[in-house]
Amino acid sequence: MAPRGGRAAASSGSEDEEEEAGFSRSYFLAKEKEPSSGKKRARAAAGKLSDLNLVDEQVLRASLAEIPPKHEEEVEALIRSYKDQYRNWLFELRCGFGLLMYGFGSKKQLLEDFASTTLTDFTVVVINGYLPSVNLKQVIATIAEMFWDQTKAKRKRQPGTRSQLSQQFPSQSTEDIISFLMRQTSDDVDDRLCLLIHNVDGPALRDAESQQCLAQISCCPQVRVVASIDHVNAPLLWDKKMVHKQFKWSWYHVPTFAPYKVEGVFYPLILASGGHAQTTKTALVVLQSLTPNAQSVFRVLAEYQLAHEKEEGMPVSSLYTKCRERFLVSSQVTLNSHLTEFKDHDLVKIRKHSDGQDCLRIPLVSDALEKLLQELA
Amino acid sequence: MSAPPCDTLPTAANNIQPFLVLHKAAASSVPSSRAKRQIQTSQPSSPNPKSANRCRQPVGKECEDEGDLELYEQLRIEAFHRTWSKIQSTIDEVLRAINLKLFDQVLQWAKESFASVRAIAEPHRTEVQQPYPLLTDVICRRIPTAFVLTKNAEFVDDITTFHDLAGHMKFNGCHVVKLSAAELSAKHGVGGCFRSLLRQLLSDVPDVADVSALASWYCEAGNFDQPIIVIIDDLEQCSGDVLGELVMMLSEWVFKIPVFFVMGIATTLDAPKKLLSSEALQRLEPCKLTLGSPSDRLNALVEAILVKPCAGFCISHEVALFLRNYFFRHDGTITSFITALRLACSKHFSMEPLSFLCIGMLEEDSEEFWHDKFESLPQAIQKCAFDLPSSKNANNSNNSCNMVEGLSRLLKLQKDWSSVLLCLYEAGRHDKVQLLDIFCEAVNPDLQTENAPDSYLFASKVTCENLLGVKSGSAKGFIAQVMNTVRYLPTEILLHVLEVWSIHLDGMSEINERVKELQSTTIGADSVRAKRRSTANTGNGTVVLNEKAAALLQDVVRKYLVPVGCLPFHEIICFKNVDILQSALIGNPRRMIQLDLLKSQSHLKCSCCSRSGAAVSGSLHDTSIMCNLAQEYGDVINLHDWYTAFEGIIKSTNSKAKRKSYSSPSKKSKPTPPEAEGMIQARFCRAVTEMQITGLVRMPSKRRPDLVQRITFGP
Repeated sequence: MAPRGGRAAASSGSEDEEEEAGFSRSYFLAKEKEPSSGKKRARAAAGKLSDLNLVDEQVLRASLAEIPPKHEEEVEALIRSYKDQYRNWLFELRCGFGLLMYGFGSKKQLLEDFASTTLTDFTVVVINGYLPSVNLKQVIATIAEMFWDQTKAKRKRQPGTRSQLSQQFPSQSTEDIISFLMRQTSDDVDDRLCLLIHNVDGPALRDAESQQCLAQISCCPQVRVVASIDHVNAPLLWDKKMVHKQFKWSWYHVPTFAPYKVEGVFYPLILASGGHAQTTKTALVVLQSLTPNAQSVFRVLAEYQLAHEKEEGMPVSSLYTKCRERFLVSSQVTLNSHLTEFKDHDLVKIRKHSDGQDCLRIPLVSDALEKLLQELA
Repeated sequence: MSAPPCDTLPTAANNIQPFLVLHKAAASSVPSSRAKRQIQTSQPSSPNPKSANRCRQPVGKECEDEGDLELYEQLRIEAFHRTWSKIQSTIDEVLRAINLKLFDQVLQWAKESFASVRAIAEPHRTEVQQPYPLLTDVICRRIPTAFVLTKNAEFVDDITTFHDLAGHMKFNGCHVVKLSAAELSAKHGVGGCFRSLLRQLLSDVPDVADVSALASWYCEAGNFDQPIIVIIDDLEQCSGDVLGELVMMLSEWVFKIPVFFVMGIATTLDAPKKLLSSEALQRLEPCKLTLGSPSDRLNALVEAILVKPCAGFCISHEVALFLRNYFFRHDGTITSFITALRLACSKHFSMEPLSFLCIGMLEEDSEEFWHDKFESLPQAIQKCAFDLPSSKNANNSNNSCNMVEGLSRLLKLQKDWSSVLLCLYEAGRHDKVQLLDIFCEAVNPDLQTENAPDSYLFASKVTCENLLGVKSGSAKGFIAQVMNTVRYLPTEILLHVLEVWSIHLDGMSEINERVKELQSTTIGADSVRAKRRSTANTGNGTVVLNEKAAALLQDVVRKYLVPVGCLPFHEIICFKNVDILQSALIGNPRRMIQLDLLKSQSHLKCSCCSRSGAAVSGSLHDTSIMCNLAQEYGDVINLHDWYTAFEGIIKSTNSKAKRKSYSSPSKKSKPTPPEAEGMIQARFCRAVTEMQITGLVRMPSKRRPDLVQRITFGP
């Protein structure tokens, strides 16, 4: 089915004055295109994802790794063209501003190149904000430790000052560490530190607390920040105080068109089981971190599912009986705790069986499940 | 715990480390020339590629010595820091001076309240520490509270105000505690809030933070005879429950430990009523104080920073207009105005190779400073100065005297210009003319005719007409308005204005004498008239005087209000590049990222995609194709259709390529259909993921698995 409607919105005027009007116009045009009265008709006519001849997820992932790059030379040239600006960026950084890079394309390579060629006078700490597992407290504790080491070294050189103090940063509260960092001036610490944050708008940093923390670090006297954003709404993360008094952003529009290779790893594939599915790989990672008993419970469930593919799932009661027989669990409570763990990591789904009892199902196709069991063994 | 250094790790591992130390700083903290040199050999030495139009190229090419370049960059950075710290201290001074009246009011109030509290009961130190209340009367448990109306929609400007207030109160002997809205939140509770109160007063906070700790601290010598002022800068953002609890708790003790509140209110006096329970509200004894309005502050700042050349740095007409619009249309906060100015300043020093000469303006003997500096400059950089467009127009002979002379004249004319501008403002303020408006008009170089005889110094009649608003860009012409105002000022005010003029024009003896002359005649005429009739003062004499004053002003404006943009060498001190400032100040990712995708060819400059007109070409970046296709949908996109359209475009391109390959026999008969299908699906997936990362679409919900939601509509 061909896409509906014209392409008026695509090339709407780029005049600043018309921008606002253009925006609302496109919005309402877009709303109009979705026929409210003929919703049923539209739904009936619209194709379903399941109508497509979708390839297997493994094939999809394999192909994903082999996508031939487009415009490789042009992208490289574009990234290279920003090299000329490095000195200006450094100048601004030294003037006390934070650099904020935006524009389409991964800016990881660009920023790290900038850091390693131009920021040689800075100690550079990289935060990969696109990862869901960034722990800011660890970061600031590490920075504080580096500063502390320098202060100690400096005090040793100056006789008569105390140097035997020791600090346990990881056990201190975030506020205390930040106030320590705030106190560090050029008298205490020789090196200036540049915090290079890939995706300061990343999933793990998107909450207000993380942003507050980053904002506070960014106004420490010995710290400068270079960051990139990718999300169009990223500026909404900051209030006036953070923008003007703390981050002091100087914006740079640097589209690179480089593929978001590492940034996109944690997004589900849209054509793979609706984008929500658990993959064998992630399931394996989770399972390996569990206790052997829990793994065995999972194995019982998986074996049952492989043996009864047609069924809706394994009833909880029969899982309990099986597990007790094998001395995997001693009580319903222990089984429940394992199940909670599975549920939390999307290893198991619970649904109501047609006869009313809860039954468990692993959201993986049989092939994937078999492979998972093999790898787990 | 500590992050591993990256040298030992491959890049792939770097990518999945949550954080890592990329590298440590090079050995010395002073800019290491070795490292720098490395950089400079690897890239063109032009400091700014965008405006590498006039003087940078010669510098890069002729001046091979990168050390020099680095040295001058260092000089410019130092110049920036000196200039900005001068501007910043001026800003601080100005703001403090404006707020001083309020600060004194607060101090006065605190002293009076303390006196009244002590007048009711003066407990002995031992009494204070006893854990039962001194008085049981409810009336006597009210905490004196000053509500400071900030009149700012945005809180950010008040941060400094309250910070300064705290400093002022502390300086005058009060104990000061600042509690932020974050501390008065439900998350911390009243306990956390009280703990942070204690932390600011006591050197050692006990584990159990209670009032008795505060009481025993208050009884220590040196603490006893002063009130404790708790400043809450942003009342509306606080949790009402927590604040209410704190109020209730402290009110029980107010006669033993005089804790008073100062609360900043951004909206109206209703705010405390909305926030606090009536019980807590009863325990407050309010007093209303008001801060000055943002536009007053802006006027004072413009006068101190932009009109009086406080640091030598100045801005051009375009930048001034931009800053004015940024202030009035953006958010009306002083803070954002200052940020913009600061960014302009750094851009100036980063882009203009000779900008380090700017600090000569701050020197006592500027001429000597410039002379020394200029003599020591290498030829290539000297040449820069004479390649500046403004100096080309002015003079042909290139020597250092010329340059120093030019700069000195610039300094002198700037001073005259600012004096005249202040005179204009003094008269205009009686007609509510804002200084920033006059300023913008007065820096407009269009006011100066290009073909004025005798170069730049004296403006012609045409200029005058322009100045009077006949031809100037703005609809009314603020300077013309001021002229009119002067014509109709009442005598007393006119006299006052003349007095102020004579102060402003102190350095310009010739004009000042004319002002004095006018003043003396005014006084004479006025006193005579006062004798004759004591009522109205619209006699002929006044009108004549007003006309005289207006004529004088007009004359002065014509002669001395020379915009900086018309003077030779002004590029050295004047920042002009408004586009660069704008793009650095206001990033617009929502618009730009969409534009990147819709017009990817303009960035990639490839040969393959540019020729296609309206139709989406398959050779475009995949995400670009998808984004183009998404424009044709409503606020939801059917995945099936989207995929089919995408596949169609890719396949049509492939088949074209294939047809070509058939005509020229080649071995590439692959790929086989399923592989191709998988590849297209993978490309589709990646493009959707990239659009998701940029926030252009939202993933399908469980309820509607076939539809993704479009979030952005048109760039």
